[in-house]
Amino acid sequence: MSVALKNLVRFLGASAAFVLMAAALNFVVDPLQLLRPARLFPAMYSPDSRMQNAGLIRSQDFDTVLMGTSLALHFRQSDIDKALGVRSLKLVMSGSTSKEQSFVLAAALERHPKRVIWQMDDWIFRDAPDVDSESYFPADLYRRNAKGIAGYLFSGAMARESAWILARSLPPLRPVVTRLTNGVMFKFPISEVDDINALRSDYDVAGFYNAKNSEASFQRISDPVRSNYLAEGYVYHAMVANFERDAIGLIESHPDVKFDIYFPPYSILQFVAMRDASPATLKIVYDFTAYASQRLARCSNVRLHDLREVKEITHDLGNYGDVIHHSPAIDLKVLSLLARGQYVVDRTAPLASLQRLKEQVEAYRVEKP
Amino acid sequence: MLFNSYPFIFLFLPVVLLGYFALGRRGNLAPVIWLALASLAFYSFSNWQFVALLVGSVAFNYGIGYLLIARKLRPPLRFVVLTAGVAGDLVVLGIFKYAGFLAANFNALFSTGITLHILLPVGISFYTFTQIAFLVDAYRGNVARYALPHYALFVTYFPHLIAGPILHHKDMIPQFERAETKRPDAHLILCGLIIFAIGLFKKTCLADGIQPLVSLAFGPNAPTFDQAWIGALAYTFQLYFDFSGYSDMAIGISLMFGIFLPLNFNSPYKARNIIDFWRRWHMTLSQFLRDYLYIPLGGNRHGRILRYVNLMITMLLGGLWHGAAWTFVAWGALHGAYLCINHAWNNYGPDVAPRFVRLADIAALILTFLSVVVAWVFFRADSIDTALYVLSKMADPTHIAFGKGEMAYALFVAIYAMVAWFASNTQEIMGYDHANRTVAEKLRGLRLRPLFLYATAAVLAFGILGIQQHSEFIYFRF
Repeated sequence: MSVALKNLVRFLGASAAFVLMAAALNFVVDPLQLLRPARLFPAMYSPDSRMQNAGLIRSQDFDTVLMGTSLALHFRQSDIDKALGVRSLKLVMSGSTSKEQSFVLAAALERHPKRVIWQMDDWIFRDAPDVDSESYFPADLYRRNAKGIAGYLFSGAMARESAWILARSLPPLRPVVTRLTNGVMFKFPISEVDDINALRSDYDVAGFYNAKNSEASFQRISDPVRSNYLAEGYVYHAMVANFERDAIGLIESHPDVKFDIYFPPYSILQFVAMRDASPATLKIVYDFTAYASQRLARCSNVRLHDLREVKEITHDLGNYGDVIHHSPAIDLKVLSLLARGQYVVDRTAPLASLQRLKEQVEAYRVEKP
Repeated sequence: MLFNSYPFIFLFLPVVLLGYFALGRRGNLAPVIWLALASLAFYSFSNWQFVALLVGSVAFNYGIGYLLIARKLRPPLRFVVLTAGVAGDLVVLGIFKYAGFLAANFNALFSTGITLHILLPVGISFYTFTQIAFLVDAYRGNVARYALPHYALFVTYFPHLIAGPILHHKDMIPQFERAETKRPDAHLILCGLIIFAIGLFKKTCLADGIQPLVSLAFGPNAPTFDQAWIGALAYTFQLYFDFSGYSDMAIGISLMFGIFLPLNFNSPYKARNIIDFWRRWHMTLSQFLRDYLYIPLGGNRHGRILRYVNLMITMLLGGLWHGAAWTFVAWGALHGAYLCINHAWNNYGPDVAPRFVRLADIAALILTFLSVVVAWVFFRADSIDTALYVLSKMADPTHIAFGKGEMAYALFVAIYAMVAWFASNTQEIMGYDHANRTVAEKLRGLRLRPLFLYATAAVLAFGILGIQQHSEFIYFRF
């Protein structure tokens, strides 16, 4: 064998060895806890829900799952457990589509929870492409197929996180690594499941959730220049098709699971913006709500809570950071309303709550600045 | 298919290499045909609908070339044939690349409602320019007659096909004709692998690593002064490592086949003026624009004023070559203006006193770099308004965030700057000499130092581990 050929063989061998070492590190540390719950190293979590959820589903004990969008992002599992007397797992994904939610819920339901709490609104059904076409959705991690596991083990980004977690577990290095754990250098910065995407204790809640911000947001979205966005993706028949596939399909295939679905308490300004700037969109929202409410009323394992008519929340603009996102205090209120079942939609009159919402929207007048 | 993908690295490349050298034992022509077919297969994996267009383009230009080279046509007829050939190429390029842009502008001017949705065939700019150069040289009498398989391979050769470098027939076809390139050379394969590894690392670990920071300036939120600078600089380095990485990978892959590709990238951010920058950035495009546009326009032969006009025209068209949008025109215009200023300074500017030479060099490097960054803002922005908006934020120091995140991001950007300015580039590390067809001569026949071998093996490993599912090259869009 010539010297050049020997060098070539050594080079390829060394490259393969480095790759295998990284995979072995990922296998042992298992940052996502996809293969086993954390035992060898202290668990750390990522705020990237689409990736983290795949590991949470495998590593956590739960009997109840919470699903939703950014409107449910800041819930704390401990609050859910206390309010509803359950052992919950939060799988909320910011900006998620109905397809993503349904896919993740289906993976979670394989662990046989008894109950699903689903923050559902019309928005998630607008555009819901297949999860495999979503750039940032690691569908194969949920499927746990060879491609998903190989992609996980042979990931350099994951190996970097594994190395950090390993370093953090060594007492002399812990203070330094902990200081670097800010989400920039280290993508798994959360050490308690309860803290995943929950607002930190030092977050300026009043500074973000106040009437000034929600009114400014209302002005922005009703501005004629931007009001086109209100209508973006609102196509009634497509939304109904997505609803049937992603919501009804999942619910009907799990008759033994109890689904508590709630329409979240948007501020009244969201509907008023549609009323004033995009009435056709508001009509689609009403029509879709009517369809969904009636359809869900026919599912015996579903309890629908319509919180959009809770005037004490939706008309107090100080509860909101924009026209839809409410404060953590309202999260707690939502939980107590769900526990009390105060706004459960009557199966025999599924459109009554929608009618009350329509009346509220019609009656609301925006004060001119 | 991407170079930075598992199917390419672990399946396509090994199979094509094995086939090429296996066929090389049987003769000189079969490996050429194999490589041309493999190149078409490579193209068809992601652009199957445009394979016929590519094949048609090769056939058309080979036919025109045949008329210019082999047939003894009278000069006026030769000119007509050349004009028909170049016009044919430009019409196809124009339809696919610029028809939508023209329709949009027509609509804006005359309030018409013309709608055109034409997909852009990947690599069309590269293979069109490659062949225009061939036709012009054939017309000038600078081309020997080439066999169709060699010509087809020259155009479709997969290491360069979809993102450059722009190849020259005189450089490439003689290499395809040589019998030695059909025999495996462990030294060239190793060097090719190392160069490929460095390029892959640049792409997957460096360019993709800094990409998220770009949205600080170009994302949906209004940036502060520091965020706008971090975002603009992040794009500056993302583009640098993305393009540099691709160029390295192309050279590395080609070297495994025993073929030396031209350099396309030579540490451009180390340039001390814009003229120097364009000798280092997208070098083969610069050469093409010089030889087939700037010089035919008259170059600097008709006085200084016309020289500046020619420079502006060349750079405006160079900008438009990158994409059918006014932002690219603005980018080209800016670089045209920079070049005019640079030439004017060389002609009329004062000489620097010897004791200030070093200081002047540093100032020139910084000024050149900042000028390039400003131009990249236009290159990256989706509209002129967005570009001006980002630039206005970069010029407004009254709004500064500089929180923990921004500090960390600034550190990232600084590290990238250090690498771009102070690290040796790939050809320096590897002793790649395109003109003499040599690479790492000092290492040939010697045992590589273990540290170098294992370090580069680690670079390959990191590059492979860094592969992400969705990470195209920026230059694919052009």
